[in-house]
Amino acid sequence: MNVIIMASKEKGKSKTVEKVSPKEIADRIKKTAESMVGQINKLQDPEFTTMQRGKSNVVWDENKGYLELGEKEVTRTFLNIAHARKFMQTSMIMAKTREYLEHNKTASIREIYYELKHTVADTKENTFEGQDESDPIIVDLEHSVDTIREKLNLHANPKGTLYGDITLLDRMHHNDKFNASKLGRGGWSIMSRVEPEEIEIVDSNAEYLLVCETEAIFERLIEEGYPKQNKCILIGTGGQAARGARRLIHRVHNELDLPTIVFTDGDPYGWYIYSVIKQGSMALAAHSEFMSVPNAKYVGMTLDDIKEYKLESVTERMTDGDVKRAKEMLAYPWFQNKEWQDQLKKALDMKVRIEQQALANKRLDFVATQYLPEKIRNKTFLP
Amino acid sequence: MNKLSEEKKVKEETGSKVSAEASAHLDKEFKEHSVAEFFKKNKQMIGLYGKVRTLTMVVHEYVTNSLDACEETGILPNIDVKIDELGEEYYEVTVTDNGPGITQENVGKAFGKLLAGTKFHRMMQSRGQQGIGAAGCTMLSQMTTGKPTKIITGKEGKKPIALEMVIDPRQNEPKLSNLKELDKDFRGTSVQAKFKGVLYRDSDQGALEYLRRTAIANPHVQISFRDPMGQKFVFKRTHNALPERPVEIKPHPKGTTVDDILTYCKTTKGRTVATFLTNDFDRMGAKGIEEIKKKVHFDLNKDPKTLTWEEAEELIKAFKSIDFIAPSTDALRPIGEDQIRKSLQSIVQPEFLTVLTRKASVYSGGYPFQVEIAIAYGGGAGKKVGDQTSMDIMRFANRVPLLFDTGNCALTKAVQTVDWKRYDIKDPETAPVTVFVNFISVHIPYTGAGKQAIADEEEVLEEIRLALMQTGRKAGIYIAHKRREAENQQKRLMFYKYIPEVCKALSTITKANEGGLKEKMEKMVLARLKIDEAKEAEERARTEKTIKEDDNSFVTKPKEEKKAKEEKKK
Repeated sequence: MNVIIMASKEKGKSKTVEKVSPKEIADRIKKTAESMVGQINKLQDPEFTTMQRGKSNVVWDENKGYLELGEKEVTRTFLNIAHARKFMQTSMIMAKTREYLEHNKTASIREIYYELKHTVADTKENTFEGQDESDPIIVDLEHSVDTIREKLNLHANPKGTLYGDITLLDRMHHNDKFNASKLGRGGWSIMSRVEPEEIEIVDSNAEYLLVCETEAIFERLIEEGYPKQNKCILIGTGGQAARGARRLIHRVHNELDLPTIVFTDGDPYGWYIYSVIKQGSMALAAHSEFMSVPNAKYVGMTLDDIKEYKLESVTERMTDGDVKRAKEMLAYPWFQNKEWQDQLKKALDMKVRIEQQALANKRLDFVATQYLPEKIRNKTFLP
Repeated sequence: MNKLSEEKKVKEETGSKVSAEASAHLDKEFKEHSVAEFFKKNKQMIGLYGKVRTLTMVVHEYVTNSLDACEETGILPNIDVKIDELGEEYYEVTVTDNGPGITQENVGKAFGKLLAGTKFHRMMQSRGQQGIGAAGCTMLSQMTTGKPTKIITGKEGKKPIALEMVIDPRQNEPKLSNLKELDKDFRGTSVQAKFKGVLYRDSDQGALEYLRRTAIANPHVQISFRDPMGQKFVFKRTHNALPERPVEIKPHPKGTTVDDILTYCKTTKGRTVATFLTNDFDRMGAKGIEEIKKKVHFDLNKDPKTLTWEEAEELIKAFKSIDFIAPSTDALRPIGEDQIRKSLQSIVQPEFLTVLTRKASVYSGGYPFQVEIAIAYGGGAGKKVGDQTSMDIMRFANRVPLLFDTGNCALTKAVQTVDWKRYDIKDPETAPVTVFVNFISVHIPYTGAGKQAIADEEEVLEEIRLALMQTGRKAGIYIAHKRREAENQQKRLMFYKYIPEVCKALSTITKANEGGLKEKMEKMVLARLKIDEAKEAEERARTEKTIKEDDNSFVTKPKEEKKAKEEKKK
């Protein structure tokens, strides 16, 4: 795959991203705006510069173990037929997020869309026709002022659940202190913003963090008392992990120094969920540094489990989408180790997938009493 | 002879006996059925089907008559057409011309005797009867309403006469009544007839569109029209001279049929077949006769009046195998680029126009023909239905508009097979384009008796396609230029509309003066557009030069520009 360059170059981005204050971010936005005003005063075409995103500017850093954004920049100018509208939208998002930072307000990315949406004077056109227009502009701004969405006081819809013996402190809500094993079977809904200045991780007695893809397995494990018996914290991502969930996984792993084990369906989609948690995603390559967990391990499902646990009768056929995904993944540089190449080739060969819940074919508690404890004890992991 | 064949022979004999009796009966029947009776029973064969079509055909017959009468006597035609609605599917048509008028003796022949025309079997470019003629209209009127056709006609220096006419269908003879002399000055002919079972529509196939197109292809004609709703239309004369009269030419051997030969040989002055062929056919010389002599099995010195069908067939076969010089094209009378341009500018009023009269050519080896093409873009060009404008194809054969059987016509096919995208017309369905095609020939290869579609002759299709490409290229240059101009205009507006939001946002962040920013940004946009405009102007100069180098294209300046200039002068 030629678009992704193997690189280990140290990037200019500071480790201090996490410690940047809202004031500092607001000032960066102001500086950008002042530069534009300066250009306009000189009757020059105003510019907005951000990082180029997408495959062509994503770099796999083997040493760090995660995906990074390359150094290609894109410049958007007003006097360009293809850019003018986006330039307008960018200036609006800049003004609005700076206002949030100054007034200590946070908003969902849907709220900022609605707050800025109106008809452009003397036209039949809206400033934003849909949230699909404002979302990419927000990402542009994140990259332009070298921060993350959360630092712009913006957040996406929350997704993911936390359960287990871990104590958190919510600074934004009466300094509530709570243990995630004492919130009932439902656990704690992971917020989309879990930055340290809002949510503090106080302590934990757990020995490892188990992340699982489906909410159904999450609930099964709680019903079987698995977290308590195995001294683990449980995070359910409900499919692809959202920003908040990834950020929390990263923080739990680093701040509590806990091993992270991921458990997904045995198909290309599930494996990619693992890869995003471990190495970051192409879309958010710039944020891998504080979202990824390069030391994470994969426990299952693997295609070898089918034979090992005699699950031949409960496999499913791979869809065309699965096949396409598997072929793409075969070529990704961060899938070039022997174990994953074997697993993907096996998938393309057998054309079957195996779900987490297929383990219920043995017994409902099989996953909690035998499959996971055995595999984790024996360290039967994929890297 | 065996038994079987004997039986067969008996059968054949009885068979022929029966058919002899039947044919005697039929002969008698035929005598009683006149041409008029035949017409009555076979209306659809001559194109008189469809309520809208029939009314348009009636107008066509009267107008053609008027045009021919005027042109033959050197008068610039003024034609006035009125259609009145008398009831449901019941109309009265009045056509008045400024022609030479008709004598009382000839009035019956012109309006009351079917197939009385002199235009059959002439090898010359003519409008041609499209089916029924004016007498057919008289017949149709009396058949559908029982009413006579009213005619007023006046010759120069004489009192006009008024009369009413019906046709006796058995005799194919006109019956005149109410004949009287009028005490006023009038030169010309006015015919008024009523028709039932017809319908007026302001559509592609209605009388208005027919007259509009007639005016376009006949710039020397002035036509006024009043429709049943009382709306008046005038198509002004744009050329003050009559077209040159077409000349009759001898038939070319390659374009002749057995039946033609047998018809011609009845009236020839040649005493032998050899002299008949030499005198009556184009490009027939001694060499040709020599070759024919070798190929036929009869004596070319025989009297042509005694030629049999088989002998005529041999002649045709011989014609086919001999190389004759292509027919002379002198007899063709195109409208001319100048005149087409003037009339399209006056009637269609497009923004851009390019016209081309191709050189004459020959199809099927024996028929000279010529093609005239015009492409009009913008302004009034194109077919407008509601908000939509689509490509309008105007077909003509010897200046006569062809409104029907569009899909079957070679002219339509030629236009449709052109790849218009190459000429910057992305989708003919939405393009404000009028394509004018005039096909001129001494013999139009119609596909049917309705005479509304031209057959797919390969040479004809090819000529039209070539002409379309030649004109299409010029139109394409203009259209591409227009498109770019429109895009630039859009660009201007687009930059401007986003400025207020940008300034508001930037001033919120930086506290810079919003009004000042706005002013500067607009200045900046204008400066950029000036650079773009300079580039544009350069390009426009190039475009105009290309178009100018070609006399056949013409750009009409938009009205606003003219107005602006006038205001400036004040």
